[in-house]
Amino acid sequence: MNAIGGWLERFLGRGSASVTVPPLDGALKPNSILEEAPTGIAVAQPDNLALLDGKPIWSSGAQILRAGSNGEPVPLLTAPSAVTALACSTAGLLAVACQSHGILVFDRNGKEAPVNWRDGRAYSCVTALAFANDDMLLVCVGSSDNPLAAWQRDLLDQRHSGILWRIDLKRGDATKVASKLAFPNGVFAAPDGSYVVSESWAKRLIRIGSNGNVLGQLIEDLPGYPARVARSSRGGYWLSIFAPRSPLIEFVLREDKYRRAMMAEVAPQYWIAPALQSGVSFHEPMQGGALKQMGILKPWAPTLSYGLVVELNENFVPIRSMHSRAGGRRHGITSAVEHDGKLWLTSKGGDEVVLLNIQT
Amino acid sequence: MATTSTLAKLRYRFVPDHVIGELLSKKWIDNAIPFLVLLCVVGLFGTLIPNFFSASNLAIQARELGEFGLVCMAMMIVIVVGGLDLSVGSNFALGNFMTLALLNLGGWPVWLAIPAVVLICGGVGFINGFLIGYLRLRAFLTTLVTLIIVRAVVDMLLLKYSKAMSVSFYDSSVWDMIGLGGVGGVPSSFIILIVVALIGHILLTRSRPGWRAMAIGGSRRSAHNIGLSVRGTVCAAYTISGMLCGLAGVLYAARLGGAGTDTGMGLEISALTAAVLGGNSLGGGRGSVVKALIGAVIVQLMTNGVLRLGMNSGSGPMVLGLTLLLAVFIDVRWLKNRDKLLSKVYVSPTLVELPTPRPTDAEKGGPLALNDRLKEVEIIGLDEVESPEDVILDENDYLYCGTRHGDIVRFSPPHYKEWEVYAHIGGSPLGMAFDKVGDLLVCVGGMGLYKIDRDRNVIKVTDETNRSPFSVVDDSRLRLADDLDIAPDGKVYFSEATIRYEMHDWPVDALESRGNGRIICYDPNTGKTHTAVRKLVFPNGVCLSHDGQAILFAESWGCRINRYWIAGPKAGTVERMLDQLPGYPDNINRASDGTYWAAIMGMRSPALDVALRMPGFRRRMARRIAPDQWLYPNLNIGCVIRFNDKGEIVESMWDKGASNHPMITSMREHKGWLYLGGITNNRIGRVKLGDWADKTWSGYQSYWGQVR
Repeated sequence: MNAIGGWLERFLGRGSASVTVPPLDGALKPNSILEEAPTGIAVAQPDNLALLDGKPIWSSGAQILRAGSNGEPVPLLTAPSAVTALACSTAGLLAVACQSHGILVFDRNGKEAPVNWRDGRAYSCVTALAFANDDMLLVCVGSSDNPLAAWQRDLLDQRHSGILWRIDLKRGDATKVASKLAFPNGVFAAPDGSYVVSESWAKRLIRIGSNGNVLGQLIEDLPGYPARVARSSRGGYWLSIFAPRSPLIEFVLREDKYRRAMMAEVAPQYWIAPALQSGVSFHEPMQGGALKQMGILKPWAPTLSYGLVVELNENFVPIRSMHSRAGGRRHGITSAVEHDGKLWLTSKGGDEVVLLNIQT
Repeated sequence: MATTSTLAKLRYRFVPDHVIGELLSKKWIDNAIPFLVLLCVVGLFGTLIPNFFSASNLAIQARELGEFGLVCMAMMIVIVVGGLDLSVGSNFALGNFMTLALLNLGGWPVWLAIPAVVLICGGVGFINGFLIGYLRLRAFLTTLVTLIIVRAVVDMLLLKYSKAMSVSFYDSSVWDMIGLGGVGGVPSSFIILIVVALIGHILLTRSRPGWRAMAIGGSRRSAHNIGLSVRGTVCAAYTISGMLCGLAGVLYAARLGGAGTDTGMGLEISALTAAVLGGNSLGGGRGSVVKALIGAVIVQLMTNGVLRLGMNSGSGPMVLGLTLLLAVFIDVRWLKNRDKLLSKVYVSPTLVELPTPRPTDAEKGGPLALNDRLKEVEIIGLDEVESPEDVILDENDYLYCGTRHGDIVRFSPPHYKEWEVYAHIGGSPLGMAFDKVGDLLVCVGGMGLYKIDRDRNVIKVTDETNRSPFSVVDDSRLRLADDLDIAPDGKVYFSEATIRYEMHDWPVDALESRGNGRIICYDPNTGKTHTAVRKLVFPNGVCLSHDGQAILFAESWGCRINRYWIAGPKAGTVERMLDQLPGYPDNINRASDGTYWAAIMGMRSPALDVALRMPGFRRRMARRIAPDQWLYPNLNIGCVIRFNDKGEIVESMWDKGASNHPMITSMREHKGWLYLGGITNNRIGRVKLGDWADKTWSGYQSYWGQVR
């Protein structure tokens, strides 16, 4: 019966075969606040923002940068390979995940701090780091199957092989808190001792207990793929959404034969897959609504990349959002932190750190 | 690159998927389900009842059908105008009685009695029509009242005259012929039915009164608002209904020659069942004679069949009732879902394996390598023209283009700042060409081939071609005439890009990538238009070769350019000239050095190329997600290429940053400049050509020599 039901659903496009994407509505209503924000700091592929002693720092390639007195990027330290995630502790420790050198810990002057690694495990595909307390580091490994650069493949293959680790920096041992996560891409420790994790491919935020049990979904069916989460000054959170969901992608995810052929034959940057930026090459797939008329790309046009950051209240209910819509520059928002009345955002697709005035 | 199985190729080559959508878009497809039911009924009773298909049984059934079919048509006509006639049974009985009375008692001749009866029953119908049409009474109640009153009248008359009628006997060979005889074994009543049905069909589908009746049934208020005489038409429908009942009564009288109280009893139920079973919508506006007849045959076969199978007396009406229920159910579902189904299945992609595109990378070099030569384009008429698909210049350097408002706009040299509407055609003007006397021929999307003479009169040249044999939909009308050129003998060759989509949907044709287009030839000497080449994949960009021997045309979604020989030894054949293009070629025009320009209106994306090989993927995509989410060819950026008669690409011009003039559907060389048009643009561009270009060359001279 199940087989027949499944076939029927695929034939009629119902149930699991139906393609639905939640609309951008309510607090998520599109605007162009992000797109129209003043010019920020031009940096190549800025990725992870964190507050070191209350000042924003961010990663870009193998470098970790901070803003100089005139807003220019000033190098803080250079890691041995590309930085995929970073986190700062209140004690001024700086944890840095490198693409091919695992996790390193620096002090606030950029000196490598000795850590007694007992397991010697090499972490790769680390997407997010967070300090639960000064000694406890939370590590999100996006995928055990693919390197971070192949995140689009990880989505198209529908992998669920992400892991949440907890590392005790004092004792040097690591605990696997949870596994089989759908690309965990952001984490922080809640005051009650549980961990909040954004699961990109499941388009939701979940709460995981310190023993590894999933305690519940905090927000589900997001209209995009969530990345990192940071606290806001109003007791809520800033959720970065690095790429939009699209009916075409959801449809392609249900078309195994096509997806396999596309992944085998087409270069990854031209896949039908979410992207951090789009409109670079005419080889990229184009959708009907993106056909320019009179030289204008409609802002509601379907797009594979988007810029979106959402403010959630303390109960994880969206209360406002800032957008950079189709055809915009500030796409691929991977992280956001609030500092001094301003929201700092990394537009990885737009090669810019954007400063947004958020006082209302 | 993975290859597709031969089986899949054969399947998409020979199974015409697109026909499903075309069938669904036909009006007569409504008859499909009733017709299937009819076949089932014939099959069922044909096997259950012995001698069902014998000549004698068929003759008996046909004779009865003559009467019943007329009553069903009577019911159908009032249903079509949005009404209902319950009095058909009583009226039928009245007709039967009056015929016998006039003949047997009155001694009238047959030729006088029959029209008299038809008029009497028509009178009953007129009363219905007057009450319902003019006095706006409810059809159900009014005809129910007529049913009762007419039945009562017949009963009273029977009481008085039945004795006298039963003793007399009318003797006439004509009368016997109607009642018992026939022509070549076909009963007369059946012949009468067929004749009436034919007339009715023509009236209903091919005449103004018929269309008006349909319109009134479809929406009474709208029909009234556009000025149709709703009351008169409704009244007329009931009158005709009554007359048909009278005729049926005459046939019944001729067959049985007796009148009883049960004549025509319950006939209204059977006729209503038949009309609805046949697919006539009770809401009105949807019905036909064929539907009424199909319903009549089904109901008669079922009622007679059940009787002959020896079931008990209640089972006949029971079967009828259940069938009616089913028919109403199917009717409602069908009406509700037909358009939904049509819109879902209309897009029917086919299997296409495009050859690997030629490289366009700037690093690799080659004639197609990306460059920035269109960055310096001068912009003409920014935000003043919309959708200049094609541009053309005359000998006095005036620049013409079409717009999506249906205008031909003319810019004045030398600066092309001032412009005026040269002529208004309507539709979407696309390709253009000047003929020898300087008249401007224009292909107009949605309209056909038009001409603007030098006095600016707009003249229709042609808007239809010969219909393709075996085509389901009528493809004689030109839907999307695209580009044209004129041969030395004056014949106009033009392309119709697709016959399956309208102007605003043209990119959807790329999803199908089937050969939906054609090259059409108009001969000014005979005034005739005929289709020269069929089954082309979005043919476009028609251009006469420099030697005048061939027509070059692009097959856009096939990413290739072909040559169609119109003279010389290979006349009438099509050959591939240039393929493996990295994008979708559009208009082709002559260059001054004996080569040709071609516009590439959009670029291939590798993800779409893979999808082209998977028609099932594209079909499901068209059904599952909204059209603006569909994977499209990238029509936002293109380029201009120049190629020679040997099919070699000489050079290409790009706007790499896609900032100035990225979308190009047409270009014309004129006196050292290249003018660019694009169908989704709000501008025209022009760019100065290099030293190779002849600074005195113009398109007009190239075709027609020096101006007189």
